[in-house]
Amino acid sequence: MRSVSLRIGVIGTGFAGSTHARACTGLSSVRLTAIAAATAAEAEPLAVELGARAEADAATLCAREDVDLVVVASPTYLHAEHVIAAAHAGKQVFCEKPIARTIEDARAMVAACDAAGVRLAIGHVVRFFPEYRRAKELLDAGAIGRAAVVTLTRGTLSVGAARAWYLDPAKSGGVVLDLMLHDLDALRWWFGEPDHVYGKRLAGAGALDYALATVRYVDRPMVQLEASWAEHGGFRTTYEIRGERGMLVHDSRAVSPFVVHSPTAQGGASVIPAPTLRETPYRRQLRDLIERLGRGEPPLVDGREGLRSLALGLAVLESADRDEVVPWSVPA
Amino acid sequence: MERTGVKRLRVGLVSWAHVHAPAIARTLAALPQVAFTGSFDETGPRREGRTHATLEALLSESDAVVVASTNTAHRRYTLAAASAGVHVLCEKPLATTVADARAMIDACRRSGVQLGVALPVRSSPAMLALKDAVGRGTLGTIRAIRAANPGQYPGGWFGDPAEAGGGAAMDHTVHVADALRWLLGDEVVRVYAELGAFLYGLPVEDCGLLTLDLRGGAFASIDCSWSRPATYPTWGGVTLHVVGDRGTVDVDVFRQSLTHYDDAAGAVKLVGWGDDLTALMIGGFVDAILAGRTVPITGEDGLRSLEVVVAAYRSAALGRPVRISEVA
Repeated sequence: MRSVSLRIGVIGTGFAGSTHARACTGLSSVRLTAIAAATAAEAEPLAVELGARAEADAATLCAREDVDLVVVASPTYLHAEHVIAAAHAGKQVFCEKPIARTIEDARAMVAACDAAGVRLAIGHVVRFFPEYRRAKELLDAGAIGRAAVVTLTRGTLSVGAARAWYLDPAKSGGVVLDLMLHDLDALRWWFGEPDHVYGKRLAGAGALDYALATVRYVDRPMVQLEASWAEHGGFRTTYEIRGERGMLVHDSRAVSPFVVHSPTAQGGASVIPAPTLRETPYRRQLRDLIERLGRGEPPLVDGREGLRSLALGLAVLESADRDEVVPWSVPA
Repeated sequence: MERTGVKRLRVGLVSWAHVHAPAIARTLAALPQVAFTGSFDETGPRREGRTHATLEALLSESDAVVVASTNTAHRRYTLAAASAGVHVLCEKPLATTVADARAMIDACRRSGVQLGVALPVRSSPAMLALKDAVGRGTLGTIRAIRAANPGQYPGGWFGDPAEAGGGAAMDHTVHVADALRWLLGDEVVRVYAELGAFLYGLPVEDCGLLTLDLRGGAFASIDCSWSRPATYPTWGGVTLHVVGDRGTVDVDVFRQSLTHYDDAAGAVKLVGWGDDLTALMIGGFVDAILAGRTVPITGEDGLRSLEVVVAAYRSAALGRPVRISEVA
């Protein structure tokens, strides 16, 4: 019997919630104790599968004695309510990205966690994807010199299975806060704070939400981003980083070490494929947080950092809505 | 080799300055509907094939010429050809200023000769398949396109503003800008651009990202950077990610290639085996002249794509999107 040092409760049973809940089960010294969704019935199947208790709602889960860390993976517009409830209950908090739908919510969440003396981590999981980490290591080591022009793309097909709130930009922020935010956060992680942004987005949105953005740093680099919920070819990420002495290129379609072909296998175009790694980036992210909490260190991406990346995503949306260039400054 | 009964157009090459000139000369020598009349270069004869000591000598023997000079010399050579009654297929960009492009269009019209622009992307079978899919409505309405035409730095006068009129944006933008107009049957109305001289210590930009608004409501981006490093296995490429409301298409114009691991050169190279776009493009121009039809890509087309470039420079200078009507 292993010793359990941290007990986790997960709010949300969608893609993010179930991913984080499953990530818990493979970690030593961690126990998944409770799962909550909008209703107990909704939480039940995943709870049964993973040997956790299905709670009636988020508040009940936060009140449990046997929860040390609350993973908030509810719909974006509910993050603030659930993070603040967890903080008030004195729990450590991990919140799926985006931190919130609005800066005001994000500020309230950071303030509540500060006041309660608990840590707030934001799930910018791309920082745990090895292809993005290796790029950062190479960039930091000067392998290609200073970056000059960068392209980042991220696409999937979000129709059918997606829940209604997800397709409502007022609640989710659409493709910019869902997909592009990963790459905007990666940019900040790689290169720091940019100077200005210019965004274009399909009006009408819904399932065909698609956006292009140009992000410019003072001097360099200049960056082109694409985020698409219209990627009929299935989930795909790419980057291309051209520096003074070389270029780094990634294409998720070109790196799968395991491909199944069979007469019965379905395309599954809208499914995000499991990275073929011994430890998934989602589990690495959770393990890193748990280790940091154990050492009394702040999370790799804390609430303030998540707030800054959200603000950059909101700047892209603002630029697209106003149809003009939006200067960027780090929110206070 | 003369072949009786076959209608041939006498075509010459003006200037070897452009990196495309050798391929153009080979194509002119090989096309069955062309009688290659040789070349003229003001720096003197420096290549294989028949050469002429003067431009006038070449023009006097030619029905048409391909102008493959530096960008800023396009106007001078085109005006000379027009006044000699010789049709012109001009390397892209048509010119480096709107005034030069208009002067070239006017001169050719007055002389009753045709002016074409050497934009091979429209000749690509992949692009034709895309155009067909768009035309059939297979993709629904086209809403957005992310395009890239990045390449290695061509060197030489391409980095000299006096001869090139600009850098990567002047060199590369027009390929995709022209293809977008043709594909969507639409016009660019506004341009936003980021430009930078980051990679080669040049007085012109080597990196550029453009965002275009089309009249019909679609938007598009173009990466026109000379961003391919020296170790890249090929010169560059042209790619489009096309988003329609009923489907998407990925086009990679030069994808058809085999990989050559070359120990002798210490390099990995992509060896293209797709259709020869230069031959298709020049063949299309020549066929139109022979048949008395309008050439596939006209001087007006060249002016439209040049306006996008000019608006991009204005945008980068002003830090805001610029309407085409501000530069036209």
